[in-house]
Amino acid sequence: MNKIAKLFVTFISAITLALVSFTSSFAKVEGEYIVLGSAISLTGKYSSNGVHTQNGYNMAVDRINKMGGVEVQGKKYKFEIIYYDDESNPKRAAQLAERLIKQDGVHYMLGPYSSGLTKAIAPVTEKYKIPMVEANGASRSLFTKGYKYLFAVLSPANQYLEVAIDLAVEKNGGKGVRIAQAFEQDAFSQDVRLGILDAAKRTGSEIIIDDKLPKELNDMAATLAKVKATKPDVLVVSGHTKGALTAIRQISEMKVDVPMLAMTHCDAAKLSKQHGKKSEYALCASQWHKNLSYKDKFFGGGKKYAKDFQKEFGYDPPYQSAESSAALLVFKDAFERANSFDRDAVRDALVDTEMQTFYGNIKFGPGGQNIAKPMILFQVRCKGDDCENRVVAPTKWASDKFYHPIPKWSERS
Amino acid sequence: MNKVKQKDLILYSSLIILGLAAPYLFSAFKVQLTYLCVLIVLAMTWNLQGGEMGYNTFGNILFYGLGMYLTASVQVGMFFPLAEWTESGGEKTFVHTTAQYFQGIGVGLLVSAIVPAIVAGAIGYAILGLRGHYFAICTLGLGIAAGEIAGGIEIIGAGQGFTTPPFPAEIVDTEARGKFFYFLSFALLIGTFIFVKYIYGSRFRLILNAIRDNEDKAEAMGIQTMKYKIVGWMCSAFFCGLAGGIMGGLIGYIDSTDVAFDGREMGVFMVLMAILGGKGTLWGPVIGATLFHFFKEGLWTLILGWQYVALGVLIVVIVVYFPEGLMGWLREKYPERFGEVIDEKDRKAQVELK
Repeated sequence: MNKIAKLFVTFISAITLALVSFTSSFAKVEGEYIVLGSAISLTGKYSSNGVHTQNGYNMAVDRINKMGGVEVQGKKYKFEIIYYDDESNPKRAAQLAERLIKQDGVHYMLGPYSSGLTKAIAPVTEKYKIPMVEANGASRSLFTKGYKYLFAVLSPANQYLEVAIDLAVEKNGGKGVRIAQAFEQDAFSQDVRLGILDAAKRTGSEIIIDDKLPKELNDMAATLAKVKATKPDVLVVSGHTKGALTAIRQISEMKVDVPMLAMTHCDAAKLSKQHGKKSEYALCASQWHKNLSYKDKFFGGGKKYAKDFQKEFGYDPPYQSAESSAALLVFKDAFERANSFDRDAVRDALVDTEMQTFYGNIKFGPGGQNIAKPMILFQVRCKGDDCENRVVAPTKWASDKFYHPIPKWSERS
Repeated sequence: MNKVKQKDLILYSSLIILGLAAPYLFSAFKVQLTYLCVLIVLAMTWNLQGGEMGYNTFGNILFYGLGMYLTASVQVGMFFPLAEWTESGGEKTFVHTTAQYFQGIGVGLLVSAIVPAIVAGAIGYAILGLRGHYFAICTLGLGIAAGEIAGGIEIIGAGQGFTTPPFPAEIVDTEARGKFFYFLSFALLIGTFIFVKYIYGSRFRLILNAIRDNEDKAEAMGIQTMKYKIVGWMCSAFFCGLAGGIMGGLIGYIDSTDVAFDGREMGVFMVLMAILGGKGTLWGPVIGATLFHFFKEGLWTLILGWQYVALGVLIVVIVVYFPEGLMGWLREKYPERFGEVIDEKDRKAQVELK
């Protein structure tokens, strides 16, 4: 036992030494670099969206650095990001945020992917008074907590599909519709659900199916069987990328006929590429679309951004990437207006943000959410086997008419 | 004998001093140190079933998650309407005063120790009749089921998750929160260690070992095995619940399947740590958890995206090369140091026989 004890003590002291030597922390601004930190989902259930987010960040960092960087007090600085993998797990995300701040000395944070992870990180950044600009946490409850250091460039989750219900009611001659809905059990999708509940109440619509789907879902046949039996006017599904893919796969397999199908995350799932004609007529909520006419001097407009992104990463940018790029533009703008690296000065500058980016107008409400940009809806439309997303609402940017109702499977070729 | 005790005393007091000084020495690492304490507690309590009793449970995560939800619910529910809290995602209209926060977490932890123990008793009564892999699979189901059920209960936030009360804003020191949770978990670690060490010197352990080695014979000897199995599990649940309660407060956000009933991570980690260190030993789980945590914190960020592959390789290496864990491996190599007397002649004779 004694020898073992000795061994243990030696082991502990070795670790102690190692720890002490590790504690040399970085500074918030190192030489010509402004260091930002981000925990991002590179593995786990959000990994594909995590990568979209990371690509968006990297694209903007490259662009801003190439175009002269950030000018503070007459000196040019470049952005640099320290990434960690949060494994799509809130527990890990909170721990890594702590690590970024305490050990890596990061003073400015970029958000993770998904509302749940943002919810886990926000208390940490708030505690240390670290400004965080996030682009992928849309849950409404993030913006009701009175957080002072949280800024989101996106519209809150409850607004995602409200417009779709309004559209359905309009097509129904102003009368309430019968809604079937299925949502993943996670912070974001549950918020989308709250938005639908509000919309249903407002329009006098009736919710006839209200199902919860497990996380990482890959089967929703039970819900679809009910939909087949009850014939609702609208089917609403939200469950991140996997939810969108599963829904289309099983709706087409089971030949479920429903006049209107509203979803989230269609472009992140590359629905029109993966499922082609099967996904036609699906209506999707989006924060951004490349055809919108917003502009800025870094990326030009949406189409130019999409082209550059395609060249760099080999696929069309989903809105997750676009909004992530926008987060960097917001940070750059705030640093230059604050003209200082003082965290509170930067925070105050963020509060006063009012700008246009290729992704949309950005102005933060009192809770930290972006109040200057509406959500849009697009519909998947195909020409032959070639499918693409066309904006159908709001009318200001609509490039196509909304196609309603969806033809029955027996009539589709 | 006395001399040995003195050496033990030096060891323990130096470890306690190190533990007390750690948050000041490594101020930036407080959260990781808190995790370490909790991981050790989980590994030690798992070892009571998996190592001593021979019942490989994946169900201890149930008590951990239960403790987490209970502590947070009590802490909120004592002062505010719980349903409104979770519905608004912990809106700023409800703010705990300093006294309320600490009272709440105190009572919450008490509840989170007692209720999981009672639940363990009830479930144990139902399923501890199963043996071997039947028991393992059954407990695996418990954790998964609990996660799905918790994800459907609106009052604790369901799929939205549950934001635990923020640390009182009146305490301005940003380090205070980290210190509070560290010392809480350190106290839990010491309590658990003393308890497990006490069990190691008791008849209770011998009975657990008897159950592991041959349950039928133990029964034939007149031991009421069921009773002891249940009590053993209740002890583990007691400490797991506490560990969960502390973690809930530290993380600040409870999600049903990813944080509370996190069988895929915590549930597997506790088994892995105990096996890595050597199950069925007092120090094994402690060393296993420490090594594992350092491996995880130190190396995982170096291999971004590949860490779970590395973990898989680690599991394979442990099972293939250290089936008895580090302690078991050391014991085989240096039996003398574990107080085992070896007759040199006898050993030589054996070698010659080969």
